[in-house]
Amino acid sequence: MDNSDVILSVQNVNKSFPGVRALTDACITVRKGTVHGVVGENGAGKSTLMKILSGVHTKDSGTIVFDGQTVENTTPIQSIRSGLSIIYQEFNLVNTLTVGENIFLGRYAEMNGMRNIHKNARELLDSIGSKIDTHKMVSDLSAAEKQMVEISKALSFNSKLIIMDEPSSSLTADELKQLFVLIGDLRKKGVTIIYISHKLDEIFELCDTVTIIRDGKVIDTKPIAELTRNEMIAKMIGREIENEYPERPHAAGETIMNVETINTRKLKNIAFELKKGEILGFVGLVGAGRTEIVRAIYGADKAKELKILINGRKVKIKNPRDGMRAGVGLLPEDRKLEGLVLPFSVQANVIMSSLWRISKFGFVNASKEKEIAERQIKSLSIKAPSPHTKVKTLSGGNQQKCIMGRWLEINPDILILDEPTRGIDVGTKYEIYLLIKRIAENGGSVIMISSELPEVLAMSNRVLTICEGRISGEFNPETDSAHTIMDAAIG
Amino acid sequence: MTKQPRMGRQAAVDFLMEYLVLFVIVALVIVTAIVEPRFLSAQNFTNLMRQFGPLSFVALGMTFIIVGGFIDLSVPGMISIVAMVTLSLVDVIGELPAMFAGLVLGAALGFVNGTTLMLAGANTQAKALFITFGMSQIYRSLALHLTGGFPMNWGTLFEHPMPVTRALSSGMWGPLSISFWVFLFFLLVLYIFQSKTALGRAITYTGGNLTAAELGGIPTKRVVVFIYTLCGFMVAVGAIVLFSRVSVTVPTVGTFFERDAIMAVVVGGTSLTGGRGNVLRTVMGVSLVILMSNCMNLLGVQTHAQEVVRGAILVLAIWLDHRRHARG
Ligand SMILES: Nc1ncnc2c1ncn2[C@@H]1O[C@H](COP(=O)(O)OP(=O)(O)OP(=O)(O)O)[C@@H](O)[C@H]1O
Ligand SMILES: [Mg+2]
Repeated sequence: MDNSDVILSVQNVNKSFPGVRALTDACITVRKGTVHGVVGENGAGKSTLMKILSGVHTKDSGTIVFDGQTVENTTPIQSIRSGLSIIYQEFNLVNTLTVGENIFLGRYAEMNGMRNIHKNARELLDSIGSKIDTHKMVSDLSAAEKQMVEISKALSFNSKLIIMDEPSSSLTADELKQLFVLIGDLRKKGVTIIYISHKLDEIFELCDTVTIIRDGKVIDTKPIAELTRNEMIAKMIGREIENEYPERPHAAGETIMNVETINTRKLKNIAFELKKGEILGFVGLVGAGRTEIVRAIYGADKAKELKILINGRKVKIKNPRDGMRAGVGLLPEDRKLEGLVLPFSVQANVIMSSLWRISKFGFVNASKEKEIAERQIKSLSIKAPSPHTKVKTLSGGNQQKCIMGRWLEINPDILILDEPTRGIDVGTKYEIYLLIKRIAENGGSVIMISSELPEVLAMSNRVLTICEGRISGEFNPETDSAHTIMDAAIG
Repeated sequence: MTKQPRMGRQAAVDFLMEYLVLFVIVALVIVTAIVEPRFLSAQNFTNLMRQFGPLSFVALGMTFIIVGGFIDLSVPGMISIVAMVTLSLVDVIGELPAMFAGLVLGAALGFVNGTTLMLAGANTQAKALFITFGMSQIYRSLALHLTGGFPMNWGTLFEHPMPVTRALSSGMWGPLSISFWVFLFFLLVLYIFQSKTALGRAITYTGGNLTAAELGGIPTKRVVVFIYTLCGFMVAVGAIVLFSRVSVTVPTVGTFFERDAIMAVVVGGTSLTGGRGNVLRTVMGVSLVILMSNCMNLLGVQTHAQEVVRGAILVLAIWLDHRRHARG
């Protein structure tokens, strides 16, 4: 191999965390100016490897050569300055600062004042075709805009290698297209990209080469043209799967919930029904109001007007506890900010909503607590060394399962899943689909929001399209084409 | 493999950071005992126990506020108003009823704090900081207003014999002072409350991630009102122990108690970011704060220098807390 066009070479890298062997003899060679995909199940070790490259974690052994230099214990700052940037799964921006300040965070002195910061930020954003105002607060940005800011930040360091850890998980279809165009441009300029994703379509569309990791071991690295989708999945999960979706259940019975009207600042006269045993899909663009609808139903947000009948009885829902009492459960969109208490254990996170149910005279029953945690860890096969492992150290999919477990323990009549498979690998997705199916077949009702159209269409019995705060159509995904449904969603 | 020793060292560092305060306490005791033998005298021991009094109660209450992710700067105001009102009531309704009224008043003030915060939509520590600071001013002015601001001295002002106050002030039961027994009682109750009850756990969830707790069905608003009420109550206990100790009670009697209590809690290793910590840690923190003053006094360190050391320790504790966080 001609060494001059290798930007990054990782040889026999090992990494263990207490109780977990995250990487075993990992080897990867990345060529200059390519888009290199990395795929693997949740917890395979993808993020860990990237965090070693960027100096967040230290490797136990092995060698890393970046841009001709052997890298020993680097720090995040050093690695950025050496031209290696990483855009994390969860963004790394300061919400209370402006866009410009974020791009040049910690480099104010070398930038000679705020005016220069904003000027340079403007140029960077322009160079990637973004029109975000550099004076805007990061907290006011959408996920896609935040990503643009992260990319500009990487470019401001003249990065030669940009690692993107699941960049697409919170983007709309259009934004994703923009990102692809941008990545294409970067590649032309000679910037190398490592692209991690669970969405295999993206990998096939974008990458030149792909590395497959399973259980901390590199299984294979191949040019994308030499792999089929099924081969890739088989290598990722170690076995073949026939279908990506289980057969959808047909268990819909009589009406369980009748949403007569919801009005908020954003939502206009939302009205629909949900049947017992039904899986109802919400389709719409990010920002269309899908999340607002379900949050209003659950009592997470205040609504101007909220009229809901559950089992024919009017219910008053003012806060999430009312929602829970009325038999509604919500798996929130952002699992890290809204779902989990990251520094707490798996057990603490799973039992959270059951706290008062397993208490007598106000005292928590410790053995029931343990029992619940163990039951859910087992039935959802949550990969954690023990119930006392902190959820913050779990991979994305396993974190999601912790919140799932929390709700399965409560077993609400109506379970609302807001982006349940975001950032989750193919194998685990299938498990989650099976779970949803099981809930419906046991008489539970499910509302499912997802930005992945194929998934909603494959799982739902009925689909509502949401567009600009209104319900713009109702469809049967088994007979109506994806095209018609998407048209209604775009409005 | 090379990783074993490294992990071992890491574990050792973690352990040290976790219980740093214990090591510091031990070191402080040894050094002071060598330099100044008076430190180990029975008299100094009694003295130390006495000082343990008021601050430890306030710090116990403050622990729950901080574990819940909030902060309470209204402590000085609450101490003043509870102490002054309780003392003024002694002649009217008798000693024990007055104390009881003081405790109820403390809890009520805490309830007002918590409710005000929730009504104002203050769901962050920063907002709580400002609001409770304002509340403190209000309470202190009220204390001045209600009592005319005269200094009071229970030993000479009142016709009543005040047996309970006297017991709290200097009574002993066995080897320990009565106020120390009272402290041990509250410590035990609060420890069990925090670790075993649903409400105690709910406080930790609220401090760990307010949004997630709320969405997970934890009644976070009630939790916040509760922790402020609890803190108010514990502050009232502290106020009563305090006026039994000092010869003259003036409306500024509670000054710096909020600072020392927060310091004790944080030095003990309870995280200012919420969700992590407990009352046992606070005991270690209080011990350190008190020992430190005692040692510095014995060693003849000047007051101003003492303040510098105190400030430095607080900064150090917050820095350590931050590092622990970054590490996970
Ligand atoms: N800081 C940590 N402490 C302990 N264990 C960790 C830590 N970080 C990661 N792990 C463990 O290492 C393994 C690999 O995790 P990693 O985050 O690299 O997976 P991943 O491939 O990125 O998964 P995902 O697709 O879900 O993001 C997991 O078992 C995880 O629980
Ligand atoms: Mg990852």
